[in-house]
Amino acid sequence: MGAVTDDEVIRKRLLIDGDGAGDDRRINVLLKSFTKWCNSTGSPEEGFTQYQRMLGTLAQCEFSMGKTLLVYDMNLREMENYEKIYTDIEQNITSAHDKISECKKEIQRAKRIRKNRQEYDALAKVIQQHPDRHETLKQLEALDKELQQLSHIKENVEDKLELRKKQFHVLLSTIQELQQTLESNVTSEAPPHHNTSSSMLYGGKYTCGDHPPV
Amino acid sequence: MGPVEHLHMSVFSQSFSPCGRFLAAGNNYGEIAIVTPVSLSAPLTPLLFLNFLYFSPSLVYSLSAHEGPVFSLFSTDSHLLSAGNGEISAWSWAELIKRNTKAAWTRRPNYKSSLEIPEINAMTVNPTENSLVIGGGDNNIHIMDLESGVFKSVLQGHTDYIHCLSVREREGEILSGGEDGAVRIWDHRTGQSVHCIEVYKYEECARPQYGKWISCLTTESDWMLCGGGPSLSLWHLRSMSPTSIFPLSGCQRQANFYQDMILSVGEGQCVSHCLLGGEVKAQIPCTPHSLNTLALNLNSTDNRVLTVGGSSHQIDVFTNLSYRTFSLSF
Repeated sequence: MGAVTDDEVIRKRLLIDGDGAGDDRRINVLLKSFTKWCNSTGSPEEGFTQYQRMLGTLAQCEFSMGKTLLVYDMNLREMENYEKIYTDIEQNITSAHDKISECKKEIQRAKRIRKNRQEYDALAKVIQQHPDRHETLKQLEALDKELQQLSHIKENVEDKLELRKKQFHVLLSTIQELQQTLESNVTSEAPPHHNTSSSMLYGGKYTCGDHPPV
Repeated sequence: MGPVEHLHMSVFSQSFSPCGRFLAAGNNYGEIAIVTPVSLSAPLTPLLFLNFLYFSPSLVYSLSAHEGPVFSLFSTDSHLLSAGNGEISAWSWAELIKRNTKAAWTRRPNYKSSLEIPEINAMTVNPTENSLVIGGGDNNIHIMDLESGVFKSVLQGHTDYIHCLSVREREGEILSGGEDGAVRIWDHRTGQSVHCIEVYKYEECARPQYGKWISCLTTESDWMLCGGGPSLSLWHLRSMSPTSIFPLSGCQRQANFYQDMILSVGEGQCVSHCLLGGEVKAQIPCTPHSLNTLALNLNSTDNRVLTVGGSSHQIDVFTNLSYRTFSLSF
């Protein structure tokens, strides 16, 4: 039963579609109608109408041919366009690769810079903790001045002390010498009692520079 | 290795290879694992996800290096140096990549007492003199010449064991931080202690509730980061003064300068990003509960990863510093 229906289908399709599809069929029909027209035995009006019909189909065929030619041109141009776009994109890709490697180098540089900056910051933090240099210098200067003043005062006091010492020394030495001379006078006049008053008188008349009485 | 041991594993140290393609990590069982981190030349392609799947355990292999824990790892241009309980072993990177697990040499510094063998906590290389600086449990710093293997000198001065070391090449100084709370600066030629900074005596840094020990020390030109019991602080070495204190709770065990930031790990389940000014910019969570070590792969340009390890058998890998990408398992 499948074979019978197949045959039927084939026969039907051959009947309907025996001439092929579209333009092919048109050309076949044209050829058939031309041969029919050449061998036609009908009236000249019919012949004329058939002739007009054939011209119409011919025009249709030419039209479709023109259309396909244009489509072919269009395809060629589209292909060129795509080729161009393709090369453009390839160039963009290579330049993007280059840019990427440039950027990577930039990143390395930036990382180094950041590292240096951080080291600087860390050191700066430590330095900030120490007091300002100008202030310490000023403090040092003030202390220097104080030191100078104090040493000045110390020198003055020492000078005074020396002077007083020397004066006391002179005083004490004269006192001692006087004591000695008094003592020597006393010892030399001890045995002769009656001479004491006169010798004392004599002792009183003599000054330090003169030769004392033995 | 049984599951219980796996559970109790801690990663103490890490080091990247000089080519930047391999990571070595040392744990508390004396093993060193060699790992290939994922290649990350195109971080946003779907290939990254494929690599996740490709990351199979066959890319991680571990070798048994020491009897005790591996506290410190250091990579020179051709060798990986590992130190544990008192001895230092060197492994050639070329051999390690070929999975040849034989050490190139093993040496031990001259310890005064032969009864107790002190552990080696920190190792670093002084490139100007091509010498290896070792600090450990005997309170002294030993300096070994890398070419001849002879132990040249001993720097004495600390009163308790040494946690961490750092070298300032330009000034030719070695810095050491220890359990006694002092950061000592040594001149490598004379072997004398040039300065001694007692961090816990500075009021703004000190945290008496944690103690006075210094467990992390790192330097960059004139700046030094140190922390541990006292808070993590940034010091300006020329003026010997603390410039910034970082308000991180917990004791920091390792800190690094990276570009314009400071990365720091310690107690606490996160990696802290801080700015030099003293503010904490971000804290990125990770798997281990307490972190011991942080390593940055600066040797290779396309594999710039950060890896952290701590009190877990997993090592977290960060390809973008802002988030944890994946974890490697020991």
